[in-house]
Amino acid sequence: MLYDLRRSDARVRWLVTLLLCTLGVAYVFGAWMVGMYAGFTPRSVAATYVEPTMAMPMPAETTTVVEHDVTPEEMGHAEQHQVDLALLVQDTHVHVPMYGVIATILSIVALGLAIPRWMGFALITLLFAAPLLDFMGMWLTKLASPHFAVVTLAGGWAMGLGYTIVAALAFWQMWRPEKGAHG
Amino acid sequence: MKTLMLGATAVALLHITPTVILMDRPTVVSRLLDGADRYTAREVHLSATDERRLHDAAGWTPPDDVITFYLGKRADRVEGVLVFMRVDSPHGPMEVAVGFDKAGAVSGVEVTKATVETKPWIVEALRAGLRDHYRGLANDASPAGAGTVKGNVGTMAEYMAELVDRGVAHAGAAYRLFYR
Repeated sequence: MLYDLRRSDARVRWLVTLLLCTLGVAYVFGAWMVGMYAGFTPRSVAATYVEPTMAMPMPAETTTVVEHDVTPEEMGHAEQHQVDLALLVQDTHVHVPMYGVIATILSIVALGLAIPRWMGFALITLLFAAPLLDFMGMWLTKLASPHFAVVTLAGGWAMGLGYTIVAALAFWQMWRPEKGAHG
Repeated sequence: MKTLMLGATAVALLHITPTVILMDRPTVVSRLLDGADRYTAREVHLSATDERRLHDAAGWTPPDDVITFYLGKRADRVEGVLVFMRVDSPHGPMEVAVGFDKAGAVSGVEVTKATVETKPWIVEALRAGLRDHYRGLANDASPAGAGTVKGNVGTMAEYMAELVDRGVAHAGAAYRLFYR
């Protein structure tokens, strides 16, 4: 154990508490945003990442025109948020480094937890593997098959699980009342 | 613990580039297809030849080889046509709605989607009167709205105006080649 959060200075424990709370708030709003743009079901995630072109591998030999009546509301409903290849490249470039930073911060907190060595390894692995799984799922959904949307969802939930384990253990070990302590 | 579980739910997380709806489609329709009481979506699926033709004319092709024109009709007469154009930039995608009147000139332009990052720049450009430049523009004219706001806005807002110009130019080429 490199350091022990239970016996650390109160200022360190306060810092870790605020850090975990801040990340928690960010995750809540992250989930809200995901719900708005991609959803939490394999079908909606696949619809976000699989582009219509993938169903039409080659342009037709002749230009064709299809007409149908719509209402203004239906025009709006047709707006499925889509992440195309260029946007996914950009998202990956922007988010993966930040995920790495967040995983590192949570891993440093995990190093101060009173848990068995193997559990420390497992937790750190989970913290880094989850976002990679998340993005791997997005790329596989786009390039291989819509069925890989479940990988993205699994990655997202795994990130939540990693955060929850670290935060719950840290809060409990830092602030649980000492036996026999008063006030 | 309950809060933590909620936080965990959160996680599927921050990875979607945040798109901001600046104007929803029903509002755009009411502004750019004013007077219409019936609407038809005309989806033009481009052949490889037509795709090349569009590329040669405008330096652009739709990502899915489909251009959708929304026709606003009144008593079965087409009153105007609306097309939504996506324009990509390193700061995220933008969607521009371009309306055409019965004569084929631009009747109006609205920016319908932006990102959290680009929204303030786009709003700045729009407030500087960017939209006014496009009204009445011929569909084969080169839009130069960015030039009209230059000096009145910051450099990023000017850049956003250039992207709107690009969207209007793409819409004009699409209309000229495949609607008429």
